[in-house]
Amino acid sequence: MEQVASQIGIKGIREGLLISVPDRGSFADLVALLNVELAQKQAFLQGSQVALQVGYRKLDKEYLRQLQAVFEQNQLELWAVLAEDPSAREAARELALATRLSGSQTDLNGNFLSQMPEPGTANTVASAQPAQGGLILKETLRSGRSIFHEGHVVVIGDVNPGAEIVASGDVIVWGRLRGLVHAGALGDETAVICALELNPTQLRIADQIAISPDEKRGRTIPEQVAIRNGQIVAEMWQK
Amino acid sequence: MSGKVVTVTSGKGGVGKTTVTANIATALAMLGKKVVAIDADIGLRNLDVVMGLENRIVYDLVDVIEGRCRLRQAMIKDKRQPDLYLIPAAQTRDKMAVSPSDMILVCDELRQEMDYIIIDSPAGIERGFRNAIAPADHVLIVTNPEVSAVRDADRIIGLLESEEKGPGRLIINRLKPEMVARGDMLSIDDVLDILAVELIGVIPEDESILISSNRGTPVAMSGLNGSSASQAFRNVAQRIEGQTVPFVDLTPKTGLLNRLNNWFSKS
Repeated sequence: MEQVASQIGIKGIREGLLISVPDRGSFADLVALLNVELAQKQAFLQGSQVALQVGYRKLDKEYLRQLQAVFEQNQLELWAVLAEDPSAREAARELALATRLSGSQTDLNGNFLSQMPEPGTANTVASAQPAQGGLILKETLRSGRSIFHEGHVVVIGDVNPGAEIVASGDVIVWGRLRGLVHAGALGDETAVICALELNPTQLRIADQIAISPDEKRGRTIPEQVAIRNGQIVAEMWQK
Repeated sequence: MSGKVVTVTSGKGGVGKTTVTANIATALAMLGKKVVAIDADIGLRNLDVVMGLENRIVYDLVDVIEGRCRLRQAMIKDKRQPDLYLIPAAQTRDKMAVSPSDMILVCDELRQEMDYIIIDSPAGIERGFRNAIAPADHVLIVTNPEVSAVRDADRIIGLLESEEKGPGRLIINRLKPEMVARGDMLSIDDVLDILAVELIGVIPEDESILISSNRGTPVAMSGLNGSSASQAFRNVAQRIEGQTVPFVDLTPKTGLLNRLNNWFSKS
């Protein structure tokens, strides 16, 4: 069971959370795995709506009911099941679960194409309230790691290329930032990104996107990134 | 006696996992250790080819796991090293024929009589990778000094950390000192800057590796012509053994011609 633990992927999408689980292995293993994973992360996942990506796994109505119960126990609401197997999709529909994400915002891998909320949707209401709670990670985020957090994120360590952080609040990296960071992901344009060494693949604040200039930057000074006059700009941290 | 399981992995394909496995297994055997190399790349086996043992295969790893033969019967004795063995992969099956717990069982049995069990992991991060690292005591990550290979190595290190297999130790393979000197290739420092793990070997690009792989004689053994790669592999084996071996200086020799070249290219 340990071997598949990290096969559970959790990422934030506009509709809430997208949780993907492995195709293979027994159903009992899957339930156990979900319980462990959700219990660990309950503190910051709870209350979310969940779209569950099950790949080619065959699931009937009874299995889906059990999964619903698993999420309910962890204070999550299952609202969609993304399945490759037609009979699993049929079963999901019979339980009044959605079987695709609205507006096809996902690519074939279920990766969310655009994490920007449309103005006027429910999500912008959430941004009216300041982001609460901070997540502190004392580790280096390596390629493939994905952090989704409603609130601020502080990383004490590096963010390597291929890693991503999506936060509704600010993101502070006490180390080298070389991956992707999306601050103010729910539309907060006052969110900032700070790093001791700023060399990201891409930065996003609210619905703005910026990429680093191509030339190699020799500078290794702390910088802060914010939206100024509708544009993402990096400023040296010299106050 | 309890042997150590060392898994060689990389994420990206084509960086030289199989070559590294064959050479480290050979170099450890040359130090007088009892070594068995396991090819965990079920369906795409080639460790047997690199070690020159292809024509001796009767039983393979899947045969052992499915009980068609005893473990001992699947262990092919090397042609040259008396205490080196190979357990080949099945060519006609796929990764799903083996589970991580199968690998742990097989390795636990091998630990009884071997000093080292070296596992050649398949590329990727799926089942085959998980099979290969499940029994590992130590993990060696092979990468090339290029951005895509380093990116994948980074991912692998992250996965190893989440499986509590430690960050692993790094082998930088196919380094071309001349290209590094010209600034056209990532340097050792560039790679370590991103990956931040312990370096256990730097293998220079060397034609003799390809030649000896094609001949089925790992370069660690054949390196008659004082090949620098041969020495580098033997150094890795000694470091695995816990010895402190200085890294070979790989800065290109600056002859008069080179210096002139540099001088012209600068101006």
